[in-house]
Amino acid sequence: MPVSRRSLLAAASAVPVLGLAACFSEGSSGSDASGRIRVAHMQPPRSGLSPLTDDAFKLSRWATAETLVVLDTDGEALPWLATEWTQLGAAWTFTVREGVSFHDGTPLTAEAIANSLTVAAEAAPKPRILDGVDLTVEAAGSTVTVTTAEVDPLLPHRLSSPQLAVLAAKAYRDGIVDPVGAGSGAFVLTAVDGTSSATLDRNEDWWGGEVKAAGIDATFVPDGTARAGKLRAGEADIVESIPVSQASLLEEDQITEVPMPRTCTLYLNCSAGPMSEPAVRAAVREAIDATALVEGVYDNRADLAEGLLGPAIPWAAERAGRTEPTAAAVAAGTAITLGTFTDRAELPEVAQVLQQQLQDAGFTVELDIREYANIEADALDGAFDAFLLSRATVLDSGDPVAYMYSDFGSDGSFNLSQFADDGVDAALDAASATLPGDERRTAILAAETAILNADAAIPLLHERVIQGDAAGVVGSRKDPRERELVGPETHLA
Amino acid sequence: MRTVLARLGALVVLLAIVGLLPWLSRNDPALTVLRAKSAEQEATPEALDAIRADLGLDAGPLALLGRWAAGLLRGDLGTSWVSGYPVGPAVASGLATSLTLMACALAVALLLAAALCAPTIWRGMRGQLGEGRPGGAIGAILVACPEFLIATLGLIVVGVWLGWLPTSGWTGPANLVLPAVAMGIPAGAMIGRLVGDALPGAFDERWVALWRTAGVTEGRIAFGALRRALPPVMPQFGMVVVALTGGAVAVETIFAIPGIGRTALGAAKSQDLPLLQGCVLALMCLGLAAGAAGHLARRAMLGSGLRDAALSPPPPPRGPSGARQCAIPVSLAAVLVVIVVWGLLRDPLTVDVTAKLLNPSWAHPLGTDALGRDVLARLGHGAANTVGAAVAVCLCGFVLSLGLGFAPRVSTGAADVANAVPAVLAGVLVAAAIGPGTAGAAIAVAVVSWPNLTAHAAALTHEARAASYLAAQRALGASPRWITVRHVLPHVAGPLARHAVLRLPGTALAIASLGFLGLGTQPPTPEWGLLLDESRAYVEVAPAAALAPAVAIAFLAALTMSSANLTRLPRRRTAAA
Repeated sequence: MPVSRRSLLAAASAVPVLGLAACFSEGSSGSDASGRIRVAHMQPPRSGLSPLTDDAFKLSRWATAETLVVLDTDGEALPWLATEWTQLGAAWTFTVREGVSFHDGTPLTAEAIANSLTVAAEAAPKPRILDGVDLTVEAAGSTVTVTTAEVDPLLPHRLSSPQLAVLAAKAYRDGIVDPVGAGSGAFVLTAVDGTSSATLDRNEDWWGGEVKAAGIDATFVPDGTARAGKLRAGEADIVESIPVSQASLLEEDQITEVPMPRTCTLYLNCSAGPMSEPAVRAAVREAIDATALVEGVYDNRADLAEGLLGPAIPWAAERAGRTEPTAAAVAAGTAITLGTFTDRAELPEVAQVLQQQLQDAGFTVELDIREYANIEADALDGAFDAFLLSRATVLDSGDPVAYMYSDFGSDGSFNLSQFADDGVDAALDAASATLPGDERRTAILAAETAILNADAAIPLLHERVIQGDAAGVVGSRKDPRERELVGPETHLA
Repeated sequence: MRTVLARLGALVVLLAIVGLLPWLSRNDPALTVLRAKSAEQEATPEALDAIRADLGLDAGPLALLGRWAAGLLRGDLGTSWVSGYPVGPAVASGLATSLTLMACALAVALLLAAALCAPTIWRGMRGQLGEGRPGGAIGAILVACPEFLIATLGLIVVGVWLGWLPTSGWTGPANLVLPAVAMGIPAGAMIGRLVGDALPGAFDERWVALWRTAGVTEGRIAFGALRRALPPVMPQFGMVVVALTGGAVAVETIFAIPGIGRTALGAAKSQDLPLLQGCVLALMCLGLAAGAAGHLARRAMLGSGLRDAALSPPPPPRGPSGARQCAIPVSLAAVLVVIVVWGLLRDPLTVDVTAKLLNPSWAHPLGTDALGRDVLARLGHGAANTVGAAVAVCLCGFVLSLGLGFAPRVSTGAADVANAVPAVLAGVLVAAAIGPGTAGAAIAVAVVSWPNLTAHAAALTHEARAASYLAAQRALGASPRWITVRHVLPHVAGPLARHAVLRLPGTALAIASLGFLGLGTQPPTPEWGLLLDESRAYVEVAPAAALAPAVAIAFLAALTMSSANLTRLPRRRTAAA
């Protein structure tokens, strides 16, 4: 009896050991002189790297999936898979670049482009860049015509979104989009191992020319300490999004701070409660010292906010700013509630510092901190006098009008401030009808001034993302829009 | 057969709860799926309607549940709402990963448990077991080591500083070591304590003296004592297996391991019901199998003695504790009380970012945290939250188990199912129902932790009732009630109380772990687990702030352990007479 039991135990304990080899990821663990770049990302893929979700940004950061158009640093549209385009009313016609083929060998055709864009336009949900845009796509010879329901001056910019990447026909099957071996970019995605790793090889026949690195070994490491640890231990060459807590542990030449189009903003409830008084909102503005936040919470790794749009949008520096500040009321004894959420680790800390500053100015502040999923509905209903949020100001088009409209337009879908102002609405309408260029920028800054004068929201600071590069990395991209990371010229010295 | 039905029933109820989660929590699944696919997208009615139509959400929860059940009967687990890929392969690969990790963590745990019990066995088999219970202090402190702190320290020291092992990832056997150690240490200490607690009693039994006079070798005596001490602990092994498989979310997140626990948490947060149901089902099947295996092992080891009521009870305990044994808990308690009272007199909430991450000084005896708040003050104020909640959980478990121990069948189904649910998952469900908070975390931990105590109580009761002297009592005409109150209850209550007290630091940690994952106490309220979580990232810059809560929990563990040793079982004068 004891013998058989013991042998059973021995057999049972051997099973996992024998099965070990089968359980690990296939990604190669160490690369050295091979010229492959090891990248550690923060978020694991949520949807098998489908470009119709946020995973699209990984595909573009690896330069494997490409779009018809790309944006330069100022947000201007440049040709990519499309060589030129013309507008005729609501119809835009794009000329397809010749000599491009997908990683599976099939050529880039107008039909393939039409297929990719149509799948995206009909997805549930469709990519965020197409919110409120109905488009139909027609292929004709070597051109693609995209027609929108209403005239859309921003359409080429929209098509630069990584979520509208063009993939080979084989990627689309059974209601899912599988980008493995279906892109057209500098690197060929060869394998994806669930939520732990992905492998890419150099595209020897890339239409854009020579690709320097032999490949990319990507891993997904959600924990900030572990991600920074990978760089410190020499296990990764490029690490994205290093937390502030870890940045001081790295060598100064290993980290690059990239300004993000993201503004940490305190939204004030303009329609109910004490904050409906403009003078009280002004008192809040005067009570807050954002410098303490930048220095204390962000370790000086953030930019003090001048307006809603930060240094990631270079032309925003030409703003007039708050031209007519309201006189502040006496705050003493005013009780307010301040809500925020835990999903971004700094926000609860910022909220606590704000609470202290407001209380020092005479307010009585009650904090309500929950998970985002549990607080979003209340916040949109105006349940808080003040709500702290880190807001992305330009989404994929590189243009901030959509953000300003949803947050401060009187029928905006994300109007946390419950704000309605005819002047602001008119300014936003003017901006959205203008073609991209200096005029549009002037209109946008005019709208920003109107919002700042009303104190509907108090911009505190603009975040930076900290990218870590090992000593030997040459030419990694530092992209405020987080669309690019490894390019054809990136390599290990 | 009745137990099987009970288990099935409880399983169905749990799966139904999971299937109704969005409707219980009143969080729109279309919105959470949208957030998972595209975090910053505006939740326009158009986008939400498209998702609802795509997933068929308009059919309502019951129809969805029915559809899922019908698919399950055909062996189809459905497709994920977020990724669109089939659930089956995702669950299978997550489970394989977690089982591999669990096997290694269990190996570490068993090695540690053996090391902790070795001194007791060594002295016991030579008949030198004194008044003290060796190996207890270290074990108790290790039980209270937070997995995520061991994981972080291991990653920094072994991975980054020494460079001996990979810091994170899942590419080869080298990746297994750090996570297995991080998870194995508290689990092994737990097993070691339970076995170590049962061993002295076994060595004190009459047969040991009999064997010794008969010249039986010490090795055989040790083996016999182990066989005697292990059966009541066997069901605990099953629970350890479940906890190591499904409850490893924190460690899986830190080391970027694609395990099933992390998959389940992600699915729960995005309310990806098919994936969540698949994960829960897989974990439940594993948990039920492990529970059944534990029970079978116990029966096999007890053998015919259990059936024939031929077991003799462990003898009454040794004499009263000496002054030396009292000194340790008293001094530990004194230190804790001083820290807590001193902390309570200070301000835990004042933020001063110019004084952040200071090292200990007279102004801040334990330094300051990342916002410049006084660590000592937060430690003191956090004690009420953490220890208070843990005491309540353990007390509830003790009272419940004492009752259920007499009717194990009543609770078997529910207990096995509750056992198979990782605390994290319970945390998600409770947080969905009443919102995340200290109370929610405590309820979640209570819901999944009572079977540990109940199983122990049932095993003890079963064994006490099978004792041969009770047959004599019955023959003498003792009423069942008399036997229960005078013989069985005292036999059960003592070890059970020790077990409950021993679980206190672990319970506090479980509550803290939920806080780590955002399912427990919300900032800025001070709570020990939250303190650990907040200062974990700064452990290299300001070690005092990060380690103080861990040391406090270790002190609490040492205190509970040393005072549990003082609690003597009630004397059984009638039995001795």
